[in-house]
Amino acid sequence: MKRLFIGYLLAIIWLLPTVCQACTVCRPKVQAAIHTPEYSANVALLLLPVVVLLLLGLGLYYIGPVLARRITAGFFFSRS
Amino acid sequence: MTTAPLTRLPLLAAGLLLGAGLGGFVDGIVLHQMLQWHHMLSAQLPPDTLVATKVNMYWDGVFHAAVWVMTVIGLRLFWTAARRPDVPWSGITFCGGLTMGWGLFDVVEGLIDHQLLGLHHVQEYTTNKLAWDMAFLGFGVLLLLLGGLLVRAGRIPQAID
Repeated sequence: MKRLFIGYLLAIIWLLPTVCQACTVCRPKVQAAIHTPEYSANVALLLLPVVVLLLLGLGLYYIGPVLARRITAGFFFSRS
Repeated sequence: MTTAPLTRLPLLAAGLLLGAGLGGFVDGIVLHQMLQWHHMLSAQLPPDTLVATKVNMYWDGVFHAAVWVMTVIGLRLFWTAARRPDVPWSGITFCGGLTMGWGLFDVVEGLIDHQLLGLHHVQEYTTNKLAWDMAFLGFGVLLLLLGGLLVRAGRIPQAID
């Protein structure tokens, strides 16, 4: 199994091209259209939904049980 | 010696992130690649030339890389939750979390990307884009409700949630 995994990794490295294999005609135009001054803004906008979902999931995992325990124990009600 | 009360929330959270990640892949594979209804920035840069299409493919890749990271984090949370003694094992709760996660992805992505930012719409090649966007949101809400019912069905009397 270990040999198979190492062989798989080596095959991937061997398959990695040393030079760009993309279209030589359109690739410069594509790169120019990607790396514009709006690049960082585009990244931020695209990642916004993922960041929101991650915050919800991680918040529920780490903070959820603590809040539930406090609510169950009457933490909020006993102070009023 | 005090033991921590049972809680299903860590399992639910792991299911949410995994479901959101898998929902993101469904969006990418079905709507971006197979049906080609939209790309991540197709409302900003219509894919009507080869270069514009390739630029859109790049931004699709950035988004799907982020979704992949979210799925891996969900898998990590699932692994950790499975080894916690205070987290009861419940297949129905986990399935509810997965379903809610998919629905949450559709709702969050639909509200932010389609409605708020206008980066793209579900179906770019129609005159009535809003109807498709609303159908996408509606499907997300439906999945959220279905997931909620499953989570409710998997309640454990001893657990605090």
